[in-house]
Amino acid sequence: MSLGIAALSWVTPLGSDIEEIWSRLLAGETAPLESLADPETKKEYLVRRVSPLALKQLPPQTRLRRASAISRFAAAAGLTALRNFAGPLDRTALIFAVSNGGVIYTRRFYSEIVKAGSQGASPLLFPETVFNAPASHLAAILGLQGASYTVVGDGAAGILALKLAEDLLAGPGVDSVLVVAAEEIDPLVCEAYRRWRLLRNPTQPENGRGIILSEGAGAVLLTREKRELQLSAIDAGTTFFRRTEAAGKLRKLRERLETSPSIIVGSANGTFIDRAERSALGAIPYSPKPALGDSVGASVLWQLIAATQILKTARVPDYPDTTVGSSALVLSCGLNQHMGGLRVKLA
Amino acid sequence: MIDSPPPRRVALVGAGIVSPLGLGLEETLVSLKTGRDCVGPVTTFSVEKTRCQTAAQVPDARLGVASTRQARRLHRVSHMMIAALEELLQQAPGFSPQIAIVGTTSGGMTFGEQFYRSLPGDSLRRAPGWIANYPPQKQIADALAHFHLDIPALVIANACASGSNAIGQAFNGIRFGQYQQVLAGGYDAISELVFVGFDSLQAATAEKCRPFDAGRTGMVLGEGAALLALEEWESATRRHVEILGEVVGYGISTDNHHLTQPNPDGNGARRAMEDALASANLNPPDIGYINAHGTATFFNDAAEGKAICEMFKQVPVSSTKSMMGHSLGAAGAIEAIVTLLALRHQFLPPNLHFRSSDPDLSLRIVANESQPASLDYGLSNSFGFGGTNASIVLRRAA
Repeated sequence: MSLGIAALSWVTPLGSDIEEIWSRLLAGETAPLESLADPETKKEYLVRRVSPLALKQLPPQTRLRRASAISRFAAAAGLTALRNFAGPLDRTALIFAVSNGGVIYTRRFYSEIVKAGSQGASPLLFPETVFNAPASHLAAILGLQGASYTVVGDGAAGILALKLAEDLLAGPGVDSVLVVAAEEIDPLVCEAYRRWRLLRNPTQPENGRGIILSEGAGAVLLTREKRELQLSAIDAGTTFFRRTEAAGKLRKLRERLETSPSIIVGSANGTFIDRAERSALGAIPYSPKPALGDSVGASVLWQLIAATQILKTARVPDYPDTTVGSSALVLSCGLNQHMGGLRVKLA
Repeated sequence: MIDSPPPRRVALVGAGIVSPLGLGLEETLVSLKTGRDCVGPVTTFSVEKTRCQTAAQVPDARLGVASTRQARRLHRVSHMMIAALEELLQQAPGFSPQIAIVGTTSGGMTFGEQFYRSLPGDSLRRAPGWIANYPPQKQIADALAHFHLDIPALVIANACASGSNAIGQAFNGIRFGQYQQVLAGGYDAISELVFVGFDSLQAATAEKCRPFDAGRTGMVLGEGAALLALEEWESATRRHVEILGEVVGYGISTDNHHLTQPNPDGNGARRAMEDALASANLNPPDIGYINAHGTATFFNDAAEGKAICEMFKQVPVSSTKSMMGHSLGAAGAIEAIVTLLALRHQFLPPNLHFRSSDPDLSLRIVANESQPASLDYGLSNSFGFGGTNASIVLRRAA
């Protein structure tokens, strides 16, 4: 089933204007690196963060008064994607994709339990720790009362969210689906990736090995109608049970999706995924992650936006001599056993 | 609007369940018929300072959690999923799903807790195992890997409605031609963070769990895993497999009232039930039994009860959470199987600890003991944080 892309938006460490950020990426710019310190352990991590200015235009919302950063990112991206939407909201579904989720409040909530016992637990924080809290806030802000799904997974969660959108649009219940993905950063997540031996060494930022985590959101509004940009195929992919299986399964995924020579936007992030992509695809394809950081649950939507910009501008950052046709593949390989992909076409 | 082909029928050709009620369909059926109260003292973490000190738990010894070194690496909810999937696959030979759609709220949360508590030690030794096995998508991946099912897994985290959403979306996926066979269900295990969270909200009770009772004081937590094999009807009949039942309806709604409380007017619950009936082409009198969300919190039961009263006339209602606690992301899947068992064995599962009717709710509660019944259709409700509501309708196999 081919889906029309009616609107796209993102909130990234380089800003939230798609055209402007694309120009900067084409010019070789990367989002600033910041040091994030854990207030308790004093450990420091390299991250790419969203500037508070990016959320400046977010109108005040009662629902966001106590909400965590992830909900604000999601709201900013979702509201922008729906800015020019004239369709009926009662026939619009919301899908929210996430990986780490509301980790800032989750850490605060659990740390109070560990330090002060269960009596220190805050009833205000607990509801915000639930994976679907950002989707709930967003649905309330947008006035959506129908289907709302939160999809959780690894870096490939966005592919599954888009597949779910396709499944919803295959039925008669909805006419459009807003897919939003978001992530926030906390030292706890950085420490988890460090102990998983997947994080960039902060003393060697120029070393390409290891992830630099980032935060932000992406959003895409999908419809059944034909648009200039079409999601012409979505492959929910597969689970892989060993890292060594990733390359072979990526190769098969590409074969299923590629009907004609296509530019590929990959998910290389400085980990075993780079090796898998190089082995499966012959070279490491363009990935926005080195410039924007790895926003994990939101990363597929950033890849999708990068793919649409490649098709529209016929230019690929880091690969200036590449010939761009009318279709691009987005392949995503997550760190926790999932991969999937999609094909986007420019009419 | 689209011109879609006629919706397909969706058969249930297999089921697997692990819950405090027992391991497998047989044990579950016996527990439901005898009204076994599975709630007891919490054993996995300290509850000295919480108001609620009980939960319904699945004994680790029965899961083989510590049987081998490899088994110890997996989260206990992965073991529940493996056991549920094993039962399902034994019942449904030749079942080869294209996708797994499952619901959970917190996956392997206890591994996340262990990781957090290990932080001061700066140990790299055990942390990678906890981190890799903690995420909510890992436990379905473990179960799929165990049986070499090389398929994608879509994990829905719609709070306490997750399991019903997963089954409902699997149903719609087959109904509208996206898939032929789908593995669907849900899972969750008790963790300190979630337990204390509900306690902090004063949603958990220090007493017995009494859904819809005038004196209800709150919920108790549970845990478990349940899976269903959904298959396009014609495909299932062509394969001559036993059809256990049929999924005929699904409704989903979002209630924007509050992050943790349903709209007191019951509107969100009502819309989910109305949509489920509409998609099944049924009217309220067709429903013979409602397995209610029925958490026994004041607000849920008031809103859900109001919606049921407005839509149905004296349909038998019970909340089996009174027996096995609230298993959150697994609840919808477990209760779908409870509803399936009620349809297959023609009985009404009991609502335990029921003493007196809420004067504001005119409900026909299946009080304290199971009852024989003649049922064709059952409806199962699941409502969650974030205002997410799901209802599914099942039909007994002809």
